[in-house]
Amino acid sequence: MLDFQRQAWSAFAQGQSGLIHAPTGSGKTLAAWGGAVNQLVDVTPRTGLNVLWITPLRALAADTSRALNRPLAALGKPDMVAMRTGDTSAYRRKKLIEQPPPALVTTPESLSLMLSYADAPSRMKSIQAVFVDEWHELLGSKRGVLLQLALARLRSLNPVLQVWGLSATVGNLEEACAALMPVGHTGTCIQGRTDRPLEIETLLPESLQRFPLAGRMGLTQLPSVTQRIEQAESTLVFTNTRNQAENWYGAIQSVSAEPERIALHHGSIDRALRDHAEQGLADGSLKCVVATSSLDLGVDFSPVDQVIQIGSPKGIARLIQRAGRSGHRPGASARLICVPTHALEVLELAAVRARIEQRRVESREPIRLALDVLSQHLVTVAMGGGFEADTMIDEVRSCPAFHELSRHQWQWTLDFITRGGPALQAYPNFHKVVESNGRMRVSNRRIAMLHRLNIGTISADGALQVKFVKGGSLGQVEERFITRLRPGDRFIFAGRSLELVRVRDMTAYVKKSSSKKATVPSWAGGRMPLSTLLADGMLNLFNAYADNQLPAGAEIQHVLPLLEQQQRQSGLPGTGRLLIEQLTSRDGAHLFLYPFAGRLAHEGLAALIAWRLAQLAPVTFSITVNDYGMELLSARPLQLGVEQWRQVLSVEHLERDIRRSLDAANMAKYHFRDIARVAGMVQRGFPGKNKPMRHLQASSGLIFDVLKEHDPDHLLLEQAQREVLEGQLEFQRIHAALDRATGQAIVLKQTDRLTPLAFPLWADRLRSQLSSEDWQARVDRMLGSLEQRVGSE
Amino acid sequence: MMQIVLNNNLLELLPERALWWPDRRLLMIADVHLGKDQVFRRHGIAIPGSVLHSELEALSRMVGRYRPEQLLVLGDWVHAPPSADDDWPETVRRWRTVHGQLSIDLVLGNHDRRLDAWLSQWRMGRIDHALELDGLQLIHAVDAEQAEIKPGVSGHWHPCVHLRSGRESLRMPAFALRDQHLILPSFGRFTGGMDGLEQYGWQLLAVAGQRIAAINPP
Repeated sequence: MLDFQRQAWSAFAQGQSGLIHAPTGSGKTLAAWGGAVNQLVDVTPRTGLNVLWITPLRALAADTSRALNRPLAALGKPDMVAMRTGDTSAYRRKKLIEQPPPALVTTPESLSLMLSYADAPSRMKSIQAVFVDEWHELLGSKRGVLLQLALARLRSLNPVLQVWGLSATVGNLEEACAALMPVGHTGTCIQGRTDRPLEIETLLPESLQRFPLAGRMGLTQLPSVTQRIEQAESTLVFTNTRNQAENWYGAIQSVSAEPERIALHHGSIDRALRDHAEQGLADGSLKCVVATSSLDLGVDFSPVDQVIQIGSPKGIARLIQRAGRSGHRPGASARLICVPTHALEVLELAAVRARIEQRRVESREPIRLALDVLSQHLVTVAMGGGFEADTMIDEVRSCPAFHELSRHQWQWTLDFITRGGPALQAYPNFHKVVESNGRMRVSNRRIAMLHRLNIGTISADGALQVKFVKGGSLGQVEERFITRLRPGDRFIFAGRSLELVRVRDMTAYVKKSSSKKATVPSWAGGRMPLSTLLADGMLNLFNAYADNQLPAGAEIQHVLPLLEQQQRQSGLPGTGRLLIEQLTSRDGAHLFLYPFAGRLAHEGLAALIAWRLAQLAPVTFSITVNDYGMELLSARPLQLGVEQWRQVLSVEHLERDIRRSLDAANMAKYHFRDIARVAGMVQRGFPGKNKPMRHLQASSGLIFDVLKEHDPDHLLLEQAQREVLEGQLEFQRIHAALDRATGQAIVLKQTDRLTPLAFPLWADRLRSQLSSEDWQARVDRMLGSLEQRVGSE
Repeated sequence: MMQIVLNNNLLELLPERALWWPDRRLLMIADVHLGKDQVFRRHGIAIPGSVLHSELEALSRMVGRYRPEQLLVLGDWVHAPPSADDDWPETVRRWRTVHGQLSIDLVLGNHDRRLDAWLSQWRMGRIDHALELDGLQLIHAVDAEQAEIKPGVSGHWHPCVHLRSGRESLRMPAFALRDQHLILPSFGRFTGGMDGLEQYGWQLLAVAGQRIAAINPP
């Protein structure tokens, strides 16, 4: 037994709550569970449900409950842990209520559902301890908020409730721990073993010339990747997007000697196919699985001996998490092979190495004041025995997520669920939650039924089932993608070429297509920005280059010619330097800025800069952004000095100007769909179940328009605005970038051709404009001349 | 405003999402879906009650402007049969008394069920299937995917145009025209719309503010 495990058991035995953090596969589960095992074995006779184990993915529940049962079975107490998720049958759920198991593995949504049953208070007050697995995954999401509210509820039922989180290392551990505790309590933070060896290797192409600078899938590296796959027993290949996963899966399969031993795993693929991939990894029958973040979490696959990451790691924590999925055999180290898809990603990987040495990882910021989640939870509690408004506000405010909830926000949320809106607004015959004898309750069974259907939709995007006309389910695809297709259009999904036949009842019916010409769906996910920690790490490397203090290493050696060329042609950015390049080409006048603030913040920044420049003189721009910088292209060149740039990059009136420069209203409208779903304002269609609810179909956009016209002060509209600003545009990062710019030297460079930093932006813009062949051909030509220069000079 | 000729009848497409037949002083609308907000509220979805008032006000404004002798509703006047304790049908009745001179008829749509008692309260004529006028069939719904369609006017489909350009996206209600037949946009603001009629050969005439704009070539 390890020290930190002993420490955790003893803290549990003393009735404490807290957080255990350690990398994947280091014995965290046992550290947490050990305390509960002692309790479960000792106390007899027992009554009711005693221990809850919350897992973020229902796919993990089965394996987790098996793992948790094992130590109990060894002590002669088998079958004490059951599970309950959205997949559990109604019969089984009823059984679980009538004869509760001592311990239950479940998801945040399923826990919320359990709280919605009328007898929830009497049944759930027996819960002594809650364990929250992979808390870092929930922490920054609304599901984490829902869980905080559920924990507050359980704490009200049993004031001595113990809560233990299990987390991978995050930058803000104390905050992560406090988020699980009632306000004012810090909890005990237990540090697990951190020194599991991690070997990172970057797969570098033979020379920089062979290397695409941007945009493509990095398939040029396919031969060396397949070679690595052949050499190992089993490999897990991670990509950043499902699109990339489909492409790589197809490519690896086409050159593999055993294509049937290669599988694909991403969030849109049907459960059965995903199970097949997971099972194959666990029993070693598969040689390689290509996956997206869908496999970031999960029980460990001990036979996997290496992990390959395609493309940018985006963040340190994520890379460590992914590396941790391999090498669980005793004594083995985690092995990670990184496959950069363009030259600057090599530099990212050098920055990753430096950060890992410094033991720095990203923070996850908890979400605050999500009134959509609060209103959902209040309806849930109103169903589950009801609540008194005066005591409920204290319970809600005991959650760190709602500590700052104002009286006004509370009253508005109560009004929203009891009368539809504020007192001055007419919402006739609205009786969702009604007050009787001082308690808020839901009496209408139909409303209760609809609400239960709505719990658990926090994470789900509008998704359609993909099925063959002749039967057989393939998975789910985002509504946004399918609505752009017409019957007869072809697309690649789950590794197959398919033809859309029709869309009906939330299902896209398809048939097999023999055509090779097909689009790959571009899912919204996977476009996460480069983390601040990593972006700053890259700037630090630029600084080090300027000071002649670059660390040694294969990655650095590899990109050195590129840095030299950037320096010679223009200059390098750095923590103290903001680089702005100007270039005139036959396309027009290009402005390139490199704030290194990540893709999302750059979108907002670029719009802001374009808007402010247009205030100085009328001009229109076409805008392209990536994780490193942005391109603003206009017809005529602008002559701006450093002082004018300082004005354009000023922090003053930032929020006002951002709102003016972006169609913030329209973005909020789009974002509102998530909020409307959580707050129960749109009824999600359910495959096979949506017919009776057809009369309740209204798009969130329609509801947004109606509310805006008839109830403009609606707080959920305000929340949509706020979330767009903070989440979609990363307002904090925009602010930080401009704040930093005020202290930076502004380096203006006139260049005569594209620099290595500018090229990826230029290529991205072309890609979005031209047809694919034109783009490919033109990029190849340009790349040829750029690489010649790198090689020859 | 835009003029078209259907089977030798001159008709005007109005930006109010309605059709004006000047020779007959007849105003046509479709798919008002009155009471839809109430259905939502009854199911716990908080849609403001003023939605109904603004629909009726929009109707009043239009009636005041064109001074029709007859208003013909091509189906789906209501969203669902009123419940006993709904007060919106009474609001509609009061609205009706303001426009006492106007004759109003309803071609029954698929949503207009169990409405007889209220139709007499609202003094609305009931047309079970279709009305034939001057060689035009005025009906609630036609099969928009079918090749052969009779000259006439209908509703039901809530046609919409969805324009995309770069990151921008714009959705507008539209009239749909093909083979001497016109499908009206939904009059109700709190109704969804359907994209994609153009793939069945319909020309879409979008309601863009005060303008009617032809979007795809005929």
